[in-house]
Order: sequence, then C-alpha cells, then structure tokens
Amino acid sequence: MTQPASNCPNCGAKIVFQWSSSVQTVCPYCKSILVRTDVDLEKVGKVADLPPDSSPIQLNTEGIYRSKSFVVIGRILYEYDQGGWNEWHIMMNDGKSAWLSDAQNEYAISFATTATGLPTASQVLIGQQYTWNKQRYTVSVITPAHYRGVEGELPFQYWDKTDVTFADLRSETGKFATLDFSDEQPALYLGEFVEFDDLKLKNLRSFEGW
Amino acid sequence: MFKKLYLAYGVLVLGGTGAAQYNGWSLDRVNQLKNVPKSVRDNPGSYRSVYGFYHHYTGGK
Amino acid sequence: MSTGTPPLSNPPKPQARALNCPQCGAAIVLRSLGHAETVVCASCHAILDAKDPNLRILQKFQVITGEDPPLIPLGTRGKLRGTDYEVIGFQRRSIKVEGIRYDWHEYVLFNPYKGTRYLTEYCGHWNDITVCKELPTVQFAAATYLGETFKHFQTADANTNYVLGEFPWQVRVDEHATATDYVKPPRMLSSEKIANEVTWSLGEYIYGADIWKAFNLPGTVPEPVGVYENQPSPVSDNVKAIWAGFLGFAVLLLIVMAGFDLTSNKSAVFEHTYIFQSGEPKGEASFVTDIFDLEGRTSNVELTTSANVDNAWIYLNYALINQDTGQAWDFGREVSYYHGYDSDGSWSEGSTKDSVVVPSVPAGHYYLRIEPEGDPKHPPVGYTVEVKRGVPVLGFFGIAFLALLIPAIVITWRSISFERARWSESDHPPIQIGNSEE
Repeated sequence: MTQPASNCPNCGAKIVFQWSSSVQTVCPYCKSILVRTDVDLEKVGKVADLPPDSSPIQLNTEGIYRSKSFVVIGRILYEYDQGGWNEWHIMMNDGKSAWLSDAQNEYAISFATTATGLPTASQVLIGQQYTWNKQRYTVSVITPAHYRGVEGELPFQYWDKTDVTFADLRSETGKFATLDFSDEQPALYLGEFVEFDDLKLKNLRSFEGW
Repeated sequence: MFKKLYLAYGVLVLGGTGAAQYNGWSLDRVNQLKNVPKSVRDNPGSYRSVYGFYHHYTGGK
Repeated sequence: MSTGTPPLSNPPKPQARALNCPQCGAAIVLRSLGHAETVVCASCHAILDAKDPNLRILQKFQVITGEDPPLIPLGTRGKLRGTDYEVIGFQRRSIKVEGIRYDWHEYVLFNPYKGTRYLTEYCGHWNDITVCKELPTVQFAAATYLGETFKHFQTADANTNYVLGEFPWQVRVDEHATATDYVKPPRMLSSEKIANEVTWSLGEYIYGADIWKAFNLPGTVPEPVGVYENQPSPVSDNVKAIWAGFLGFAVLLLIVMAGFDLTSNKSAVFEHTYIFQSGEPKGEASFVTDIFDLEGRTSNVELTTSANVDNAWIYLNYALINQDTGQAWDFGREVSYYHGYDSDGSWSEGSTKDSVVVPSVPAGHYYLRIEPEGDPKHPPVGYTVEVKRGVPVLGFFGIAFLALLIPAIVITWRSISFERARWSESDHPPIQIGNSEE
C-alpha cells in the first residue's frame, strides 16, 4: 500500500497518509484541516479543540471485523441533545474504507452504499420501512445533530458543517443503516451492530481507574 | 440432579417389585407355625390352629 | 520537525471528576467519564446537567435524604458476565394496579468499553438488562425478538419518583412512560414508550445471591417474595423429564410383570372338590388332603376357594403343612355371597370365590389341613380348593405403578402452582380454582 507523504503547508510537519484514497486529513501538530489536491495539500481550516469525550477508540486502534483486520485512521465527532457520538473512519486490510460508529459504547460497522430512491431529510419519518440488499430496515431514530470536529484521514471533505440530520434504521436481525443528510444528496451506509468483544480491539485508550 | 433422583427411585421401585415377586412375597396376612407333628395326618383334629383373625367362632373345637 | 509522535493533540483524557452542587455546595462525583447526561445531588436532590461544567440545575425534587438507600451503593464495582461494571445511578419507579402502588428499583451500571447495563430489583427479584439493538416484532399478546417469542405479561404506566447518581439520559422525577413486559422465562422483553419514542430492552433473571457475590455485598441476601414475571421455574424442566421417566419405568414394569406372568405355572398343583354339611360327619369336621409337591425356588402359593354359596357363607380354616419339616402356614378364609333386589334394583355382596397368596413357601411335600365351618341350618355347600405355585401378585405391581406415578403428579402440580403464581400478577391472571382466594 503506497503511503504518500507530504508536508503540512501551515507548519511543515510531515504528513503521512495511511490510506491512499484519503481526501482530507488533520495535521496532528497544528490542527490544520488539509485537503489533498492533485499537486499538494491545501489548508482549508482549523479544527477547534475537541470536547472531552469518552470513546475507548482512538486513532491507530486496531481490530477485526468478519475476519478482516482494520485500523482506525480518522474520526468525525457529532453532538446532539442527548449527547454525542463518534464515527471512526477505518481502513480494512483489503484497502476498503468503512465506518465504526461508537454511540454510548454501542458499536456498529457500516459501509458507504450507493442506492436510488433515498428519501430527503424532510421526507424521512420514524416507522418508515426500506429494503436494501433484500433486508428490511425500519426508521427508528431521527437525530438532528451538529458536527463538532474531525481528526485524522477522511474519504471526503468534511469540515465546518453546522446542523446535520441523521436517520438510524434498524432491523430484526441486527443489521443497521444510516441515512446521512449532510449533503444535497442523501448518503446511505449499510452495516450491522457489533459487540465490543468481537472486534478484538487493540491499542485502545486507557481510563484511569479501569 | 432431579432427574437422577427419579431415575434412582424408579430403579429402586422396580427392583423392589421384582425382588418381592421373585422371593414369593404376598400382601396377605398368614400365620406361621413350626414343628407340626406328623401325627396330624392321622388325626387332623389334634392340630392346634393359631387364631389370627377369626371372625366366626366355632363354639368348640 | 521530528518524525516522532506528535505532542498530545487528543482531547483531554476523561477521569472521574469531583464538582460541587450549585444549589447546596455538596460534593458531586461523576464516575461515568463523560457519558452522563444528568446527575443528582445526593444531599439536596437537585437534578443537574452533567454535561455543563457549571452543573446547571434541571429539576429539584423533595424527598427525605436516605429514604430509599440503594442495596448496591453507588460507586460499587462488580463483575457481570466477565466484565467489571460500576454502579453510577439508581432510581425508584412505580406502577399502579387496581389502586395499589408497586415500587421497583433500577440501577445504572457503567463500563467505559462496553457501555451501560441495568439491573432491576423488585421484592428480592433481580434482572440483568441491556438495551436491544435489533428490533422486536410485536404481535397480538406476544412479541418476537431474535427468533424467540415472548408472551405479553403486563402493560402499565411507570412513574419515576426517586433518583440518585448519574444517568445517560435526561432523567426527571415524575416522568411517565408506558412500560410493557413480555416474558419467556428466564428472559423478559420490555418496551418503554415516552411520547413517540420506543426503547426495547432484554432482561435476564438473576438471583440475589449472584448479585451479592458479583458486587461483594455484605450481609444476607434479601429473600425474594412471590414469583416474579420471568423467574425461571425450578420444576418446569423436570416435568417433561419425569413423565418421560415414568413412561419408561411403566413400560419396564409391564415387561417385568409379563415376564413373571409368562413364566408362572398356570396349572394347579392340587385341586379337589368337597361337600360340606354343618354337623356332618359327626364329630371332627377337619380333614387332611393328599400330599402334593411344591417345586422350584422358594416362592408363593396361591390357594383359591370356590364355593357355590347363594346367600350363605362358608368359612375354612386352612393349614398348609410341610410333611417333612413340620412348618405350617395357617390362615382362615371366608367365602360368602349375598344378593337380592330392593328399591334401587338388584344388589350383590361378596363373591363365590376367594384367593389368598401364601408367601415364601420353600419347595417340598405338602398337604392341607382343612376345617370348614358353615351355617348349621344351611343345606350342604360344595367347594373346590385349588392350589397354584408361583403366581404373580398384581398388588405389588399396582403399588409400584402408584409409587412411580405419585412423584410425577406432585412435580406437575408444583409446576402448575408456580406458573399460576407467576401469572396471577400479570394482566392475564389464571382463573381461580375453588371458592376462596388465597
């Protein structure tokens, strides 16, 4: 896997991309948000200090999902009225990009999926049912959230967003889907809930007293 | 644990019943006597019975 | 710029924090490492915003401090299912059924990796509860979850009336939710509905003794009262097993009985008919029979007396005497048969046949000494004496059958009583048997 290296245009620190398809990253030294152009990195903003948050996962945490190992390379932090959650950007060992969400220590892994006929933010309602890949999903929660910060590598440009609406869909089998309405076009992520123990996570954060 | 208890109990009941039948036991009450003399064959009247539960009095021997 | 690890740019590491209550100044401990939404001051019972650095007051409620101390104190750690959890929150909730208020307690447990878990306690019955990730399907009077069907137990309006510690949601006192329980012992599927939001959770019954062990609690475990909705039945598994066992044994019993019956000698070793007339022959009524052989191992002897008594009786004093050893078995048998007609129809009493089984008679040469008695006024009675060797005693098999049956019946009855006690607390109580209510 090629690991292209560049320098941060703001502070000159060496930036290494773990994933060749990363579009954006955050300089770990000066917190500048850097977007990859054809030639070099361009600074587009700065990340505010992330709030104290208690996800046990951190950048470079490793784990296993369905016999494939993965490493955590980025994160998006969201907040809503009942708290916050993390969407950890993970890179599978076959080069695929996926998301490990941690919402109050409920973990799910999902993959970006293309689909047609997705509802818009104003059309989606709790209780609606959708079928994707022969699995039926029911809209369970609609969360107006706001973007709080980013860290590490992301597969798209994502910064300085304000309010974003998410719809969580659940199924009878543990399959899980998210509709992300941050952009004009709704984005669909399909995946499933996973147990902490099954992920066999390594290089986790430590907690004092635990 | 419970199933083993009933199993053991059932084996006991079955075994006990088999033993009872094999040894020729009975549910009836019968009195036993010893040393009945051979002379009873010639003189049946000389036999002294053991009065167990005797509900008709003969009024004499 | 070095290529070593960058300076710590991660957000500050969460630790248990100590703050002060804005209302009364008492110390507030936050144990859940940033997960709590609300925290309650143990001194003044103000409900505070745990995410606000100033602990903004959200609600106040009046209660006597220490009114309802949690059985597992806040901050206690215990191991459940191989994971350590810390008790961070506690609440008391109640429902009202037919005017009576029923209280139960809920404990919020926290682990920084595995998240939140709950324990509920009602009258000494405990449940280990997690929030469901998969969706159950609700049917008529039942719900299915992950392929298992749970029966509807109760729907009630639940009210929170006492809170302590930290909660990962916005807790308020006097908050109402519609709580529905479905049971499949030892598990329970519950739904909580507030406004339009439904949360499902799965509970598993856990014994108080296991809670005390897990959290290392002092003192004795409080005895549970009554039967709880998803309490596992101590006998139900055994019911099927015991009837299967009974069937097996009953079949074996039948085989043993058949075995003895088939190997028994059905023909008589001695048979003779006599006529008895009271008073004749003059003098001695007793007589002896010819000698007959009893063969084989020590077994029983069946003696059958058949008499043609018709509204009369005959009494026979028997002695089975071993010619060689002088051992004798002595017994008297009555044969009487009465019959007639009355206002109800025909009736009969007694029988013309009598059988007795003499036990444990060894092989040898035997004869019978017979002394008959009868009604002096009665015409002569004819009677046949029949001796058989080694007969099956049906009484033993009858007793054995009952002995095998009774435990099965007792177990089944106990199981039925247990289930009736369970469902008597539900929205679907069983029909009362008998006149009195327990």
